[in-house]
Amino acid sequence: MAIVPMTTRYAGSQTHIGGSAADDAASASLTPAIEFRDVYKSFGSLHVLRGINLAIAPGDVVAVCGPSGSGKSTLIRLINHLETVTRGEIFINGVPTATLRGRPLQQLRTEIGFVFQQFNLYAHLNAEDNVSLALRKVRGVSNEKARQRAAKLLDRVGLADKARQYPAELSGGQQQRVAIARALATDPKIVLFDEPTSALDPEMTGEVLHVMQGLAKSGITMMVVTHEMSFAREVADRVIFLDAGVILEQAAPADFFNAPVNPRVRRFLKQLLSPLSPG
Amino acid sequence: MGITFDFADVLTGPPARWLLSGFLTTVYVTIAGSVLASVVAVILMGLRISPGRIGHYAAAAFVEVFRDTPVLVQLLIWYFAVWGLLPESLRGFVAEDHPRAVWPVNVIVLAPEFLCAAWGLGLFISVFLEEELRAGLNAVPAGQREAAMAQGLSNWQTLRFVLLPQALTNAWQPLVGQYLNLMKTSSLATGIGLAELTSAARRIESYNAHALEAFAVGTVLYLGLGVAMGQLLLFAGPRRPGAKAADKPLAVAPMRKAGHAV
Repeated sequence: MAIVPMTTRYAGSQTHIGGSAADDAASASLTPAIEFRDVYKSFGSLHVLRGINLAIAPGDVVAVCGPSGSGKSTLIRLINHLETVTRGEIFINGVPTATLRGRPLQQLRTEIGFVFQQFNLYAHLNAEDNVSLALRKVRGVSNEKARQRAAKLLDRVGLADKARQYPAELSGGQQQRVAIARALATDPKIVLFDEPTSALDPEMTGEVLHVMQGLAKSGITMMVVTHEMSFAREVADRVIFLDAGVILEQAAPADFFNAPVNPRVRRFLKQLLSPLSPG
Repeated sequence: MGITFDFADVLTGPPARWLLSGFLTTVYVTIAGSVLASVVAVILMGLRISPGRIGHYAAAAFVEVFRDTPVLVQLLIWYFAVWGLLPESLRGFVAEDHPRAVWPVNVIVLAPEFLCAAWGLGLFISVFLEEELRAGLNAVPAGQREAAMAQGLSNWQTLRFVLLPQALTNAWQPLVGQYLNLMKTSSLATGIGLAELTSAARRIESYNAHALEAFAVGTVLYLGLGVAMGQLLLFAGPRRPGAKAADKPLAVAPMRKAGHAV
């Protein structure tokens, strides 16, 4: 791993974490929490994202939907560098991040929570250690303090009694709630969700969506790739529709669901809401 | 005519002492070789998965050399060729008397035979340990690494706290097999004059011609050591936490021929 000096462009990371509410409010009116400027992403000759421009205000909850292969997951994976940008720039709290490496990148990642479709809980650690690992190893928090924070977060997702259970002993819904607690461990102001309920049995999606709804009210900026139209309608501040790597529509949920402008979006919604009706 | 066994001539007097001393030599050389093999295996794996090209190819070449040549030849080279190339002062130091380097029962560990055997066996087995460990690492789902990276863990922390513990669990059964291989392969060190268990049995054979009894006792000792070692390593080793019954290995019932049920 390359050691990059702390003088990289991404620097003022700690300020907003520890900053006062007044600071947050002031910066909120000026700078988007997440901003894409003309972002392109290709895997070889496959052009997954083609010219994304998008600004998300702090505290906003944005649902990202669209057909399979439209680039939804890639869009949010670019934000914390699970994929790297081919062209363009992504600003987090006004700071460009596309070329971050090493320590500053690690720093950025601790400030952005990520929840995976397949949960990806550390299989060899119990729920509590899953939540506290990054606190202990990246933030250098003492074991006792990290344990207390993990207990608090597990309580928040309704799993206080499962702290000692291993992932293999938990249901899918419980695993995803632990994964959400883990994503919150380092107190991020942004949390990204990559189809968080797609791998769950239908009766378990409710418990996960419920936790996410609570999170949405807490002022955290959320981007949620989802096929759960009820979540998009009831919880999101804005819905983004992506197709073939281009944003076709972005609107408030009421407008998006009731009066979509783009014909491709109308077709998508019709199929999603009544899949059996003739095309 | 029948074969008569005379274990008394093997289990008493000098033969008994040789067997005990040989058995302990096998135990010591196995432990020393295993420690060396483990350390070298971790270094090799680190080199092979690191981004550096030179380290990667050097480790790959090391693995091929030690995996694809006979271990007896390797031991002979260490003992007869390489040992002689070491500085005179070092060889002189080893040749001196070191009372603390004589372990029970009368096993001299600070001797060219013991050192070359432990070294040669350790390097030979290290490449197999490395391959097993790397296979175990490859079996860890990619999502585990992504989750760790997304949390801001460095490459090293991801390896140390997320990937390696799971790789070790995945690979533990075959790793135990390799440690057992090291123990059994130590019998070849009789070829460089190490007074281990096999050499003790051969010595009894030339002493009183009770070859069958001597090798029978030797075989039983190897078997007992192997069973004990295997059980100990499996007991002390990592386990898949929270594994459900379905994830545990299937207990395979012995097959019975149809129509022969009692």
